[in-house]
Amino acid sequence: MPSRAEDILNGFKLNWMNLRDADSGKILWQGSEDLSVPGTEHEARVPKKILKCRAVSREINFSSIEQMERFRLEQKVLFKGRVLEEWYFEFGFVIPNSTNTWQSIIEAAPENQMMPANVLSGNVVIETNFYDKDLLVSTSRVRLFYV
Amino acid sequence: MGLLALLRKLKSNPEKELKILLLGLDNAGKTTLLKHLASEDISHITPTQGFNIKSVQSSGFRLNVWDIGGQRKIRPYWKNYFENIDIVIYVIDSSDRKRFEETGEELAELLEEDKLAGVPMLIFANKQDLFNAANASEISEGLGLGSMRRRWQIQPCSAMSGEGVQEGMEWVMQTVNKK
Repeated sequence: MPSRAEDILNGFKLNWMNLRDADSGKILWQGSEDLSVPGTEHEARVPKKILKCRAVSREINFSSIEQMERFRLEQKVLFKGRVLEEWYFEFGFVIPNSTNTWQSIIEAAPENQMMPANVLSGNVVIETNFYDKDLLVSTSRVRLFYV
Repeated sequence: MGLLALLRKLKSNPEKELKILLLGLDNAGKTTLLKHLASEDISHITPTQGFNIKSVQSSGFRLNVWDIGGQRKIRPYWKNYFENIDIVIYVIDSSDRKRFEETGEELAELLEEDKLAGVPMLIFANKQDLFNAANASEISEGLGLGSMRRRWQIQPCSAMSGEGVQEGMEWVMQTVNKK
């Protein structure tokens, strides 16, 4: 008999992730390869103009076969391994056999404080960890290249 | 008016986090409404099989909007999302007259919920762009909204064209700022 933790892990899938200009709602990058393959780092080639956006949105879509009671995520934006930004979000209950999206919209730093694309490119990683209580359900790492 | 603009209107509010819950029957237009608020493309919306959450942050304030699927098999799970709600937005398909009774029953159940007691409610009478849509006063009378014991407002709108959406969201912000 597989354990409850295994059932949750086996029934969980990250379907896609995207980045948008939050003012226009336009998608600037979308990745739909299986983002939750463990140990893989994904690469996103994002148009440089995203750095000029006043606000940016990050959206993530996931499915779960199992019901979860205390589902939450931690999302970090890392620059050369240092945390630039952190989000904690508690979903609480997850409906069995559900597909869900979570989108965070955040204002960008003022342009004069923004590091240039060539400095950021390849050095920024969005790391998202999903937990049910303390059980690590899934991790995704996406490295950003500004092109 | 986008979600960031809404959040900026909240700056006088001491609360650091605001939680809005979007409910209504399937096909009422909840996801379209939410996407409209974020200026997103609304041409490929499919039935929500769980939830869609938008978290908006500006100057330390956070606005979380929870859109929960409205299909019959999902509705029993709605009650798992009633904790710490500041505003409920209930969306009605004003053209779907055959289901007014059903939406009225779901609304009546929400009004009985202890965890949502006293939580202000905005009712969007959506799909006003359709020719057979009932108007707001017809819906208000039909559902007996007048007897609700909480702050409430009914707002005709079209999530498709955006008409009326801003007026409704302005009521939401005024109501939150009064709290």
